[in-house]
Amino acid sequence: MNQADVRIDTFKSLELYRESVRGHARQTAKIVRVCCGPGCIPKGARRIYDLFRKAIDDAGKRDITISLKGTGCQGLCERGPIVTVDPGNIFYLQVHEEDVAEIFRETVLQDRIVDRLLYHDERTGAGIRTSQGIPFYQGHVRVAFALCGVVDPESPDDYIGAGGYAALAKVLSSLSPDQVIDEVTQSGLRGRGGGGFPTGRKWRSARDAHGEPKYVIANGDEGDPGAFMDRALMEGVPHAVIEGMIIGAYAIGSSHGYIYVRNEYPLAVERLGRAIGQAQKMGFLGKNILGSGFEFDIRICRGAGAFVCGESTALMASLEGRVGEPRAKYIHTVESGLWGKPSLLNNVETWANVPAIILNGSAWFAAMGTQKSKGTKAFSLVGKVRNTGIIEIPMGMTLRQIIFDIGGGIRNGKTFKAVQTGGPSGGCIPEAFLDTPVDFDELTKLGSMMGSGGMIVMDEDDCMVHVAKYFMSFLKEESCGKCTPCREGISQMLFILERISRGEGEPGDLAKLDGLADLLAGTALCALGKTAANPVLSTIRHFRGEYEAHILQRRCPAKVCKGLFFYEIDPEACKGCGICLKQCPAKAISGERKKPHVIDRAKCTMCGTCLEKCPFTAVKKIV
Amino acid sequence: MPIVNIDGRKVEVQMEATILDAAQKAGIWIPTLCFHSSISHLATCRLCMVELDRGDWKQLVTACNYPVRRDIVVSVSSENAVKARRGVMELLLARSPESEQLKELARRMGIEGSPYPNVTESLRNCILCGLCTIVCEEVIGKSAIGFSGRGVDRVVTTPFRQLSEDCIGCGACAYVCPVGTIQLRVHEDTGEIEVSPFKSRAKLLVCEECGRRLVSEPVNKYIMEKVKIDLAEFRKYAKLCSVCRRKKSANILSLGTPMNDDDRKTENIKCQK
Repeated sequence: MNQADVRIDTFKSLELYRESVRGHARQTAKIVRVCCGPGCIPKGARRIYDLFRKAIDDAGKRDITISLKGTGCQGLCERGPIVTVDPGNIFYLQVHEEDVAEIFRETVLQDRIVDRLLYHDERTGAGIRTSQGIPFYQGHVRVAFALCGVVDPESPDDYIGAGGYAALAKVLSSLSPDQVIDEVTQSGLRGRGGGGFPTGRKWRSARDAHGEPKYVIANGDEGDPGAFMDRALMEGVPHAVIEGMIIGAYAIGSSHGYIYVRNEYPLAVERLGRAIGQAQKMGFLGKNILGSGFEFDIRICRGAGAFVCGESTALMASLEGRVGEPRAKYIHTVESGLWGKPSLLNNVETWANVPAIILNGSAWFAAMGTQKSKGTKAFSLVGKVRNTGIIEIPMGMTLRQIIFDIGGGIRNGKTFKAVQTGGPSGGCIPEAFLDTPVDFDELTKLGSMMGSGGMIVMDEDDCMVHVAKYFMSFLKEESCGKCTPCREGISQMLFILERISRGEGEPGDLAKLDGLADLLAGTALCALGKTAANPVLSTIRHFRGEYEAHILQRRCPAKVCKGLFFYEIDPEACKGCGICLKQCPAKAISGERKKPHVIDRAKCTMCGTCLEKCPFTAVKKIV
Repeated sequence: MPIVNIDGRKVEVQMEATILDAAQKAGIWIPTLCFHSSISHLATCRLCMVELDRGDWKQLVTACNYPVRRDIVVSVSSENAVKARRGVMELLLARSPESEQLKELARRMGIEGSPYPNVTESLRNCILCGLCTIVCEEVIGKSAIGFSGRGVDRVVTTPFRQLSEDCIGCGACAYVCPVGTIQLRVHEDTGEIEVSPFKSRAKLLVCEECGRRLVSEPVNKYIMEKVKIDLAEFRKYAKLCSVCRRKKSANILSLGTPMNDDDRKTENIKCQK
């Protein structure tokens, strides 16, 4: 059966089709899933996929059928590329090209485990066969990502076989638009893009808004440094995003939809485009969807990567073909958005949650999470944590659980210092607050925010002034420059931060930063400017001592800010090889051969060459 | 019609009127830079911040574009509002320290100088309010200038920073510029007008009767195309200065008495002025 020639025009035929897909799958004895997510592709997953394809073809016709799937992100990016073999959900990590033949011969054909490629328990050293046994996957509850890493994103049959488009059929066959909105409202779903606005309320306003046509938009302009959940979702289960949007369109009475994706995500653009084409052919998009008479279609709009275009009004300006700059939102976009018409904009993760809520019911979703933040949230866990990757956990899990249990703690035996959540609009949370349950309101209370779900873990080697400076310079680059406070205020704040990190800070600088932060929060035009000071404010709030060390003592405790620490040669460790002496561009190092060398602080320009070149790690940073 | 309580004064305004409209009606001054009554609200300068009392919480909003849809309570003189306007003005003064117009407005707000250093470069004190680009687009219909670059690198310029083919030298941009960035220069030797800093030049029309300089020739042509009155007399009159035009009309209507030489002399002086 080929999806190209099937058009599903009744609810019954969808179920029949689903049955036939499942029946077909039951005949498949083995399923090999190669993770082709954003983390595994750069590590060579594509090539591994090709080698498996070749191995299957070379094996010729056998009495077992083998199905090969290049899936979306399976989560544990740190140990990619990941290959799983079903039945048994055998989970192989860090698979290299030369391992493919072995996996194929042993596991696929003969049901034997390749122990070397399994996850090994750190204490016992025992190999763990399935993902369920791996600490990283403990506590995961997958809703939006339920099918990511399971289905082949390019196969609508796979998605349908796994229960796809059943929510759409349920909505179109048995629920009124109001019932759909009630269901979403009761689920307690809040916007996953960062703001956390109640989704049901937004849908209600969009339904009640006057004006035709109405638009439904998916925001795939993920721009936070370190965040790639939305990308994984669009690449991994594009049909889930599309299904969510169709349901939303039905709820508010819209027949036009847009997905706004940044062009830096070419695979997401490609897969979404293909999925839309497939959905159109099969009758999930277009006129008379599933024979219900409902009409809706989606187009993709590629953004040019401006961070500000993730802001709703700027996104809509960009969709209209104008410069992506925000406008005042005193009249909400649900009332007057794209081309001045009522527009319902949700983040792709929000959309992907919708089908699951419809299928399983609002009570199921609302049973997960905390009082005011229901359900689950996806995070991309990155930085100095041992297991980086994409996680989806119920709201209310503590930061400590996320970083130490799932993330496996800090790399290289270093100590935890802070976790940055919410991207450039968020803030840094220190050790003292690690037992905070993760939800929209708790993170806001700490001066950070949920944001779209980037979580950057930092250790003792990270300087908080430097981090604040990094985010401010990011925002200075990304500010559109339309309004005064954002354009001028961020530059002023960066000016002060640069001064502090050069060791030229003045005692009143922290108060000045505070004042500017207040001004930005109160007067900037859009959310980018209003929240721009959060990285600075939260680091001042939680790491004031570190700022004061920079300003008053002219030293950088984390030894990051150039000029605020020294290089020194440990006489015990130095072998007197002379490499640093030869390499030093300032000729600041002296010493006889085979005797400990010394750095002359007066001559040293702190370039760090000696630290880099020393083969015996004898060069140390000291404050 | 909704009632706006603004600093204790109550005024009734049209639905969707702005807080600034209400303030004007109430006789309360709110400083503005990027606002002009004939142009769309830009709300880019953020100078007109006022505090909206929402009962359980207060919010700073821009008066120039906040639409009044129900009875609201607004404070122009609250501490937060004054502080916000001061902050914005200080940032603008740091950017454009030499603009006399800006300094004058700051003085009216009770602000002398800025505590901030000059960290962003402005082209001849431009505050990037965008009035010039919008007037050119919306009122004149030419879009000869626009923004280029973004963030601190944003600048008002002609396309590709080349001489604009679309500029008709009307001077509307210079007229609306609140800080004196854009200026008109008349080049006596060539009889041209230059819109600075865009370097656009246009030949000035000369009154056929008295030789007084009128609008630029492209403006005259553009208006002729726009108004679509095909009257030879109108076309002829369009090339006269207002004084000569009135005089000629009066003569034609035989309402005026023929002038003697002295009269003519004084009229000529007036015209030349």
